[in-house]
Amino acid sequence: MGSRRIAIINGPNLNMLGRREIGIYGGKTLDQICDEIRHEGERHDISLEFFQSNVEGFIVDYIHSCAGKVKGIVINAGAFTHYSVALRDALGAVRLPAIEVHISNIYKRETFRHLSYIAPVCIGQVCGFGSYSYILGLRALMEKLDEAVPE
Amino acid sequence: MKKILVISGPNLNLLGTRKTSIYKESSLDEIHARLRKKAAELGMEVDCEQYNSEGDIIDRMQQVPGTYAGVVLNAGALAHYSYSLRSAIGTMLVPCVEVFMSNVHAREEFRHKSVIADVCVGTISGFGAHSYVLALEALANLAGI
Repeated sequence: MGSRRIAIINGPNLNMLGRREIGIYGGKTLDQICDEIRHEGERHDISLEFFQSNVEGFIVDYIHSCAGKVKGIVINAGAFTHYSVALRDALGAVRLPAIEVHISNIYKRETFRHLSYIAPVCIGQVCGFGSYSYILGLRALMEKLDEAVPE
Repeated sequence: MKKILVISGPNLNLLGTRKTSIYKESSLDEIHARLRKKAAELGMEVDCEQYNSEGDIIDRMQQVPGTYAGVVLNAGALAHYSYSLRSAIGTMLVPCVEVFMSNVHAREEFRHKSVIADVCVGTISGFGAHSYVLALEALANLAGI
């Protein structure tokens, strides 16, 4: 109770949500989506911290800082998903349960988005459900944490 | 009341009896019971079925329009090569959510590609039995429930 802290990480261009390619990403801003996630966290007595950066290295630094501080990670790495070996290594290094989420269905889009470098070091993937992908990702992580620490 | 069809493909009838490193768990019957409970909470109804034959799944997909508001599909190995299943999903014009119990991206390379993913609303993979539950929640959310 209360001791479960989870990091919600957003990668490049996600700060532009609500203003960018609304047909693909929807009309909600990142702040609005974070409010929805916060609300879901409160319902389950989970504390959250949010991080967004357009800089790969800052996300790597942040993931490193997660070790010992949070119990798990929900990450929308944006386009870094598809080419950042450094992000994959960072997630692999901290060994925290991580869930990969995407707002859009990446498999309906360009071929270069079909490959995720981070998928093999994550527990699983949720994609295609708009901002609800984050909610489902958070629930998936909570279930995982419940399994790990029987209450 | 919104009715959802949950279909599991080949070999998923063996759940709970297979190597547990990937599929730790839960028989398919237990998963179905869990889905019925979740559906009741959401004010929905689910029919849960399993087929080892590709053609049987295609037959069911063709019967979906007019009866079901959505489909949760764990196509098992068929996800990676069944173009006829892909066509059946694409034709029915009812939202279909692709699920996998395992993280397919952490397994053999031939499992990294799904030929049905782009005709589905989205994909949920890696969370064991919970993948199915999350897919049901996703469909409820799409239906505005």
